[in-house]
This record gives sequence, C-alpha cells and structure tokens, in this order.
Amino acid sequence: MTDATLLPLAVAIPLLGAPLLAVAGRVLPRTGCDVLATGAAAADVVCLALLWSHIQGVAVTPVGGWPAQIGIVLAADRVGAGLALLASCLVLAVLAYSWRYFDEPRGERAGLFPAMVLTFQAGMVGFALTGDLFNAFVFFELMGAAGYALTGYRIEDPRPLQGALTFGIVNSLAAYCSLLGIGLLYARTGQLNLAAMGRAMGEHRTDLLVVVSFVLVVTAMLVKAAVVPFHFWLPDAHAVAPTPVCMLLSGAMVELGAYGIGRVYWTVFSGPGGIPHDAFRHTFTALGVLTALVGAVMCWQQRHLKRMLAYSTVGHVGLFVVGIALLTPGGVAGAAVYVAAHGCAKAALFGLTGVLLDRYGSVDEHGLYGRARDLRLLGVLFVLGALALAGLPPFGTGLGKALGEAAAGHSQAWLPTVYVLTSALTGGALLRAALRIFWGAGPVPHSRPGEAETSGEGEEPEVREPGRALPPMMVAVPALLLALCALVGCLPAVARSLARGAAVFTDPAVYRAAVLGPAVAHRAVLPHVASAWTAEGLLLGGGSAAAAAAFAVLAVLRPVRLPLHRGVRALVTGLRRLHSGHLGDYVAWLALGVAALCAAFGAQT
Amino acid sequence: MSPRARLLLFLVSAAVIGVYFTLSCRELPSFGGASHPYGERAVAAALAHRTANVVSSVNFDLRAFDTLGEESILFCTVLGATLLLRLARDERQHAAASEAVLPTTRLLGAVLLPVTVVVGVYIVAHGQLSPGGGFQGGVVLATALHLGYVAADYRVLERLRPLVVLDIADSLAAASFTAMGVAGLAAGGAFLKNVLPLGTFNKITSGGMVPLFNAAVGVEVASGVIVLLAHFLDQAVEVTGTGTQEEEA
Repeated sequence: MTDATLLPLAVAIPLLGAPLLAVAGRVLPRTGCDVLATGAAAADVVCLALLWSHIQGVAVTPVGGWPAQIGIVLAADRVGAGLALLASCLVLAVLAYSWRYFDEPRGERAGLFPAMVLTFQAGMVGFALTGDLFNAFVFFELMGAAGYALTGYRIEDPRPLQGALTFGIVNSLAAYCSLLGIGLLYARTGQLNLAAMGRAMGEHRTDLLVVVSFVLVVTAMLVKAAVVPFHFWLPDAHAVAPTPVCMLLSGAMVELGAYGIGRVYWTVFSGPGGIPHDAFRHTFTALGVLTALVGAVMCWQQRHLKRMLAYSTVGHVGLFVVGIALLTPGGVAGAAVYVAAHGCAKAALFGLTGVLLDRYGSVDEHGLYGRARDLRLLGVLFVLGALALAGLPPFGTGLGKALGEAAAGHSQAWLPTVYVLTSALTGGALLRAALRIFWGAGPVPHSRPGEAETSGEGEEPEVREPGRALPPMMVAVPALLLALCALVGCLPAVARSLARGAAVFTDPAVYRAAVLGPAVAHRAVLPHVASAWTAEGLLLGGGSAAAAAAFAVLAVLRPVRLPLHRGVRALVTGLRRLHSGHLGDYVAWLALGVAALCAAFGAQT
Repeated sequence: MSPRARLLLFLVSAAVIGVYFTLSCRELPSFGGASHPYGERAVAAALAHRTANVVSSVNFDLRAFDTLGEESILFCTVLGATLLLRLARDERQHAAASEAVLPTTRLLGAVLLPVTVVVGVYIVAHGQLSPGGGFQGGVVLATALHLGYVAADYRVLERLRPLVVLDIADSLAAASFTAMGVAGLAAGGAFLKNVLPLGTFNKITSGGMVPLFNAAVGVEVASGVIVLLAHFLDQAVEVTGTGTQEEEA
C-alpha cells in the first residue's frame, strides 16, 4: 500500500471503529466488543507500522486531492509517524489490558469505553500526522474531548469528576489561546498549511504579532505537555483517571504536546520573519530544566503511586522539552528515542499499579507496606520499570537519555546533570515504593504529624468482583511493554531510523519541498545523527540507575529527615503548597505563564 | 494561594497579555483591504466544483478533513455525556410528572413544531446552495423536538424522541462520514475526494459529495444534540440522588 492510502487510513480506522463499537455494544456480549475494539486497534498498528517502514524523508498526501494552498495535507516524517505508532501500540495494549480488568457499564452503554479510547486514538494519530495548523487544532480538541470524559469515568467518586473538570477547563482555556494565535497567523500569512505558513512568514520582519501568535499557539501544547507552570492539571487528572486511561495520557498524549511545539517551531517560526533560534533555545531550555526539576522533586515527595508516576511524567517531559529546545538533530533524536521508550515503561508501571489497586484497593506507598509480598513477579517487573525510568542500559530510556545528554552537553556542559538528577530521583521514588510494597523493606513508614498528604488510601478498585483470580493480561501487558522498552534500546535499527527522522524534522527546507513541491524533492544532504550507545552513555545510565537505587535504599532504611538546609526545606514545602488543587490557582498560573512567555520572547526579538 | 494573591496574580498577568495582544493586533492587515488570499483561492475552487455556497464547499470539500474531526468531536462529546451521566449506584430514575400548560402555548407548539422541522430539513438539504448546512440545520431539527418540552411537558418530549433510534443514527451518521471518505480513497485515490458527478451549478443536486456530507452531518448533529440534551435533561428532571436509595433497596 502507498502513503496516499496509509496516511488517511491511520485516522479513518479508529474513526470507523468507534461508532461501530457504540452501535455493536448494544447487541454484542463483552467479549465481542473486546474483539472488535482490539481488532480495530491492531489494524491501526499494522497500518502505522507499514507507514513507518515506508517513509523516506516526509510522506505527503493531500486529503481530498486539494493542494496545500487550498486544502489539508497530511505530512509525516519518521518522528511524527513514530509517535502515532507509539500511541497506537499503547491503545492496543490498553484495550488488551482492560479485557478482564475493567468494570464497564452494561446494556446500551456497553462498548462505550473502548469506543472512547478509539476516538482518543484518532485524535492523537491525526495530530501527529497532519501538516495543517488548524487541522492540528481540531485533532488536538478531539484528543481533549475524549481525554476529559475518560478521566471522569468513575462517576461514583467525586474526585475523578473534579480532576476531569480541572483538566477540561485548563486545557480549553489554553485551546482558546491557540485559536487566537492561529487567527493572527492566518491574518498575517493567508495560509493554514504549516509549510506554506513558514514560507509566507519570510515576507515580513519579526514583529510583535509574530511573538504573540507564537506564544498563543504553543500555549495549548505547553498545557498538554504539562510544562511548568502549565502543568498543575496533570497530577490531579492522572491520580484519578482509570488506570488504562493513565497509560494513554502519560504514555502518549503529554508527549504529543512537546512534539507539537517542535513541529510548529521548525515548520513555521524557524526561518526569517519568525522567532530567532537563540530566543527559542534559551527560553525553552529554561522551561524544560524547570519542569524536569519540579517534576523530579515533587515525584520524590509523593506516596500516592499514581501521583508519583504523574510527577515523574512531568519530570521526563522537561527532559524531552530540553531535547527539542536544543534545536539540533541530536537533541530531537534523543528526545524521540526517549519518548518511545518512556511511553512503554510508563504505561507498564501504570499497568502494574492497576494490579495493586485491583488486589488491595489502594495505591498508597505507606498503606501497602509489605502487603504485596506474595506478588514477587509483579515486584520484579515494577523494579525493572523503575530502573528503566532511571535510565538503566539497555532499556531504550537509557539510550534516549544518553543521546539527549550527549546533545545537551554540546550546548551547555551542565545540562547532563539535569538528566541524571531527574532520572535518579523519579526512578528512586518508584524503587523506594517497590521495596516497601513488595518486600516490606525497612521500618514501617509513618507520616509526620501536621503534614498535608495525599495518601492514596480508599481508592475505588476499578472492578467490583472480590476474590477473583488475577487476569493474566494484567501482568502480560506490562511485561510486554517493558520488553518493548528494552527493544527500543537493543535494536539499533529503531534508534537509527528515529535519528534519521530527527535530521528531517529539524530541516524545514526538506519538509517544505515535500509539502509544497517542486515535484522532485530536492535531495538535501542530511547530517549524520548519532544513535548508538557510547561508553559515556552507558556509564551515565548505569550511574543514574545506581543513584536511584542508593536514594531508594537510603530512604527505606533510614527514613530520617535529611540534614537539608532550612531554606531548601522551606522551598520544597512551598512548592508542594503551590499544587493546591484549586482551579482558580491553576488558571492564574496559566495566565502568568502566557504573560511571562510574551515578555520573554518580546524582549529577545 | 490566598484569594487576594490569586486575583492579583491573574489580573496582572491578564493585563500584560492584554497589552501584548492589543499591540500585536495593530500589525494585522487593515480592515477592508483588497487582498484576500484564501478567499480568492477558495471561491475559485468552489466554483470549479459547482458549489454555490462557498462556505459549504470549504467545510465539506476543500477542508472536509477538518469537518470530519469536528463531527467526531461532537460524536465523542455525546459518547462522553452518555458515559458520565449514567445512573450512579446511589441514583434512582423516576418518571416525570405531567404539567399543566396554557392551551394557547400548546397550540403554538403544535403549529411551530412541524414548521421548524421543515425549516431544519430545508437548511440541511440546501447547504450546498444557500447559507446553512448540516451543522445549522441539525441544530434547528433538534430544537424542533424540544418545542414539545417547552409547549407541553417532559413526557411529551420523551414520546417525541426515540432515544435508541437517535443514538444509533448518531453513530451511523458519524461512521458514514468516514466511510464516504474511504469511498473517495477507493474511487478517486484521495481520502474524502469529491468523486461524484458535480451536477449543474446552483441546482440542488450540485456539488458532488457536498450534499451527502451535509446530510450525514445533519443527521449526526440533530440526533447527537437531542441525545446530549436528553442526558442532561434526564439528570435535571428524572434523576434523584442519595437519600432515596434506602427506601428502594
């Protein structure tokens, strides 16, 4: 099959599957729904895998046969198609994981959960593959609409509804900003196609309109990517969403935000009349570092496992943003490999947490102390996942981290420290929890009096069927995902092909030639981008994992207060207080972020 | 954050954004200029496909992929509302009571309802010719049914709307949009390609696929909006929360 078929089919398959499921769910038994949903998801994975293996440079298809000046063009390089493939693999994993796991409503509402998941998939795939700014916005909203509803799925509990509402309102506000920005850009260029927009930008000098439209357009993506200070909704939503939904939100949706920032910058704003490279590099590196550190510190502080995983996502997204902000092919290659492997590892960890919730009705590190001693296999998988997050070779997370560190080290010598610290702290927090929950290591943890904590006790299990055996899929899927994470690191072909994609991603001339013609794409000499393990990378990866283990063991064995400076302690407490759960606070931070970005870019252009 | 600090932070930030946005708007092309880059291209393309209503041409032909995304958002919203507004374990549904209405109100409703349905169908069917189309006509159709509630009571509305049929129609219409897109791919080599004969300009059969997409969206919007409102209205009118469960259990 050709690109012209595969690109639109990747969006059409889930969009056909979802309504069919909604209808068929009324008559089919649960097994029938599961088979239909899994079949649609599997078909999409095959479609995207074929596409991914086909692509040389940028695969382009005009939808409806209209050229970029009039209609919408789908354009995918290896990075975009790879993300779509990752999202689809996770959707398949989620649907298989939920076979026996999930309490679905019966009767006329049976089949709605998988239908929503497929719609969510269509949003993610469409966003990753489109070459049109407004179309990207539409699919972004589709992703959002499905995400909000899925987050609030457990209606018996007020917390999920609260989390979904925060998620929905903060994201919708940011979407309005984006729409305003798209309007400004359209007024300036008369185009909506990314490549055509980028070409038309060169006809004007950089002025305030460019600055403001850039900030507004990336606002929605910064919110989705949970970049500080736009990140507050994420832990609140992830802590309460059903486990299978968390796997999708953390594994793929958040990363799509970071991808969108890179895509829009490179295709529209990187040339003359856009945003200067230095301004983008400085601002987004600062944002990325801040995000990574806040995420890592907050992750270490949690005892609610899902919140811990959510903050670790914030931390890692910070690293992805740094990779993109370097504006080098190496940085993007590192981020791409890292995202692929992180998505698998993070989904696996959420899946394992779902097993704990299913068995014990709790996701609290303290409350579960020593209770999962008989689930050793699960414990081993959890430890492996935590080590993968910490960057242990040969996991793909380690390779992505190593590539990112190498690229970042070229730009600023201190940047690799942020990578090591973030991986060690997030991996360490999870290892600490695993040691306590699965091995009962160290003394019984107890909370300090007078400290506000989100415990994670009293969570509702997602199935009400006491005493049943553990569904095998709930262990098999996380194990497979961890194997996939290792494959990304072990198979050199994967990283090599993503690195070549990164070279295309960071070359707007190649993209423009592919989308707008000339018919014969000019054969640019793409730079060679490193994609293999190096001794330094192995060392730093091993070092991070060792540091994570050391943090975990120290915390478990000697749960005493570290002799931190009082100022540092006050800072950490203050940081926790900022995550207040108050929607008004989050909106105020969103406004502050937009204003600060306007000022920062205004000053640098 | 204290309410004061929150408000201050927001107001200062909003003021900064406001200043930047206002200043950037001064760089926009001035009002009433002669340059309409997309307008010129779109009108030419719409006329080439013999679609008199250029807006419909943009929605259902030139940028039909956007519309596919948008109608999917509506479909997804309906699914989401169905999912989230299901009866919780501690909720009970009881039949709505009948209510007294002035005979004149009832008469007005009885007259307006069929008129509104006809207007809705007209707007959907003439989307390729005159202002309107599936989205607008669909909303008018959905409104028509709710005249039953406004002019009579909730029980009349419930008899007017066969929810199961509408729910299935909503899904099938959503699926048919994508399916027609795939048909374009099979017949013309491009997804959502306008492959049907284009007909005579300014006749109801003109525009090729545009009337079909219009009809699909019209059915989807009409049934989707009714189902969506039904879930919200049920919550308001028929569902009661905690407190009633003991006596029933």
